[in-house]
Amino acid sequence: MSEFKIAWLFPDTLFLHGERGNILALSRFAKMAGHTPTVYKVDFNTKEFDPDAFDVIFCAPGEISSFPAVIEWLTPYKEKLEAFVDQGRPLIVTGTSVALFGSRILRQDGSEIVGLNLISVISKENEDVYGDDNFFKCVYNEQQMKIIGNQIQMIDIDEIDETKGERPFGELIYGYGNCGKNTKEGIIKGNSVFTNTLGPMLVCNPMLTIEIVRVACEKHGKDFQDIDFDMSLENQSYDTKKEFILTKESELTNCKR
Amino acid sequence: MKFYIALWFGKLINGLISIVDKSRGTNLAGEKAMKIDPRLVAHFKGIDPQKVLFITGTNGKSTTNNMIHHIFVNNGKNVVTNLEGANLIYGVATALIKASTMSGRVKGDYFIFETDERYVPVIRKQLPAANLLITNLQKDQVQRNGDPDYIYRKLMDATKLGDIKLFLNNDEPRAKSFDESGSKIVTYGAAKHADAFTKGDSYVTMACPKCHHKIVFDYYNNDGVGKFHCENCGHSSNKTADYNVTDVDFENRKFKMDGIEFDMPYDTPYMLYNYAAALAVAKEFGGISLEDAAKAFGSFKNVEGRYEILKYKGKTIKYMRIKQENPETLQTCINVMASDPNRKMVALGLCPLIDMIPNYANSFYAFDCDLSKLVKSDVESYFCFSDRVCYDTANRFIYEGVDPDMISTADTEDVNIIFRKIEEAETDNIYLITWLHTYYTMRKYIDKEGNK
Repeated sequence: MSEFKIAWLFPDTLFLHGERGNILALSRFAKMAGHTPTVYKVDFNTKEFDPDAFDVIFCAPGEISSFPAVIEWLTPYKEKLEAFVDQGRPLIVTGTSVALFGSRILRQDGSEIVGLNLISVISKENEDVYGDDNFFKCVYNEQQMKIIGNQIQMIDIDEIDETKGERPFGELIYGYGNCGKNTKEGIIKGNSVFTNTLGPMLVCNPMLTIEIVRVACEKHGKDFQDIDFDMSLENQSYDTKKEFILTKESELTNCKR
Repeated sequence: MKFYIALWFGKLINGLISIVDKSRGTNLAGEKAMKIDPRLVAHFKGIDPQKVLFITGTNGKSTTNNMIHHIFVNNGKNVVTNLEGANLIYGVATALIKASTMSGRVKGDYFIFETDERYVPVIRKQLPAANLLITNLQKDQVQRNGDPDYIYRKLMDATKLGDIKLFLNNDEPRAKSFDESGSKIVTYGAAKHADAFTKGDSYVTMACPKCHHKIVFDYYNNDGVGKFHCENCGHSSNKTADYNVTDVDFENRKFKMDGIEFDMPYDTPYMLYNYAAALAVAKEFGGISLEDAAKAFGSFKNVEGRYEILKYKGKTIKYMRIKQENPETLQTCINVMASDPNRKMVALGLCPLIDMIPNYANSFYAFDCDLSKLVKSDVESYFCFSDRVCYDTANRFIYEGVDPDMISTADTEDVNIIFRKIEEAETDNIYLITWLHTYYTMRKYIDKEGNK
C-alpha cells in the first residue's frame, strides 16, 4: 500500500458547509483503492507547499473577506498549481472558493480582488444569498454521471472561456449553477473541478469520488485497485432527493424540469 | 396622525387576536400597523435609548432574553419586551403597541428586545438602543445568511450608529471581536468546566474575524465557544471575563460568580453563557446586585421546546431541539448524549429546510460535528428519520464508524412511524433530536397517545 496524499487548503480559514466530509470521502475511497490516505492541512503555517507531492488537492468554501489573505499566501505557488492542473491532476474546489482561482472577484462594496487566475472566470459577489439543491449531469474521466448536492450561492460566475481548455463541469437539470440564468454548473479544466456543489458532494456522489481517486492514481503513477462498493444507501438518498427536487416549488426558470 | 391610526389599528388587531388565541399573532399587529406608518417604532414616546437593550446573535437570544426578563421582574422592574421570540422589527413594534397608551406613550423601566441579527441595523435606525448584547455569531441558516461574515458585517455597521455599550461573549471569537467597536465594553464568559472538550485534528475551527488566520481553541465549553486565540494577530478571549461563571457543578446544579453561589436551573453547558450574560446585564444595565439576581435563578423556567423530558409508554424521551443548518446546536445535543453513560437509542431527524421557497435538502452541517464520543458511548441503535435527508444522516453515522446494522432509516416525518420505532427499542432511554416544528407535532402525539 502506498501513501495517498491529500492536500486540504486552508481548512480553518475556508471552513464552511461541512466540507470536511469531502476529505473523509476521498480518504475512504483512496483506502478502498488500495492506498493509505494521509491528509495534510496546508495553511499560513505551512513552511513549503509543493503541489506536485500530492495526489489530490482540495479547497472548501470560505468567507470572501478571507480571500485576499489566502491568495497572497498561495500566489508564490501559482505556477506549481497551474502545472498540477495542466498535468490533468485533480484540484477539487467547492463553493465560493471557485472565485479564489478565477481572475477577478468583484465585491458588492465596489472593491476588487485579483484572483490566482488558474481559470479565467470573473466572479461577482451577490447582494443576497441564494440557497437551494442542485442536480446536474456531467462527465468526469469519461464517465457519465448525475450529481445531486446543495448550493449556497454568494457569487455569480460569468461566462467560461472555452478557448482556454475550460468548460462547464455540469449541465443543470435543476439549480442555480453559475449564475441562475443558464444551465451551466461549475468549471472543469483537465481533471480539476471548480464547482458550486456542496453536500458534501463527494460523500453523496461516490461515483464521482471513485473517478477522482482513479484519476489521481493514474496521473501520479499509482496502482488503482478496483472498488467494489455497495452504493445502495447513496442511491436511496439520490432517489428521494431527485423526486424532491423535480417536484418542489421554485422560482428558478433557467431549467426545464 | 398617521402614527395614531397605525397605533390604534395595531391595538385593534392585538385585541382581536387575544380574543381568538392569546398565544398567536406576535408579529401581526406590528406588521399591519407598519404598513400605515413605516416609522412606527420611531414615533413611540417615553423611550430613553439608554434604557433600551437589544439581544442578538446566532444562538441563545430567546433564552437570554427570558432569563433577563425573569431576573428583572423578580426584582421589581417593569420591562417591555418580546418574549415570544418575534425578533424582527414587527415583533418589536407589536410589543410596543401592547405596552403603550392610546397616545403612544410607553411606560417601562427597561426596554429589552431579542433582535434577529440580520435586522439589528434596521431596528436600530428607528429605536437607537444604547445597549447591545451579542451572544455569538456562528454558522447558521446558510440559505439566508450564507456565512457568518455576512451577518458580522451587517452587525458591525449597526454598532457604528452612535455610542453603544456592548455586552460581549468573551469566549466566542466573532462576538469578542466587537471589543473595539463600542463606547463601553462588558465581557461575560465561563471558566473551563468538567464537560469542556477538544476536537480532533480533522475538524476545522474558524477564521479570525480580524485577520482571517486560524483561531485556535484551547478547549470548548460549548461548540465554537471557549478559551481561544488567533495564531497571527493575537485576537483572544480575555483571561477572565468581567462577569465570569466559575465553580460549575453540574451534578448538584450550582455555579458561582464573584464568590456568590447560584442555582443552575438547566445543567447543560451552553446555558452557562446565558446565565453569565443575564447576570452581566442585571448588574450593569439594571443595577441589580448579583445577590438579588441569585434569588431569581431557582425559579427560572425556559421557553418550551429547547430541552424537554417526556414520558411515553414507559419510556423516557429526552427531546432536544436543533436549529437546522446550525452545527453548534447539533454538537451540543451530541455532547449531551455522549455524556450519558447509560444505554440509549438515538433518534435524529435533521429534516429538509422548508421555511422558505425553495425548500432544500441540506444536512451538510452534520459533518462539522464531532460524533466520536457519542459513537463510543453505549448506543443501542440509531434511528434516522425525516423526509429526504434520512439517508444522508445515516451516512454521516457510517462515516463516523457506526456499524450500518445499528442504523435504521425512515424517509418520513410521520409521527406514527417514528414512535412505533421508539416503542421497539429495548432501552427506555430515548434521545430524540429534531427542529422545533417537528417537536410540536410530536408533543401533541405524546399527549394523545403516550399514556394509552
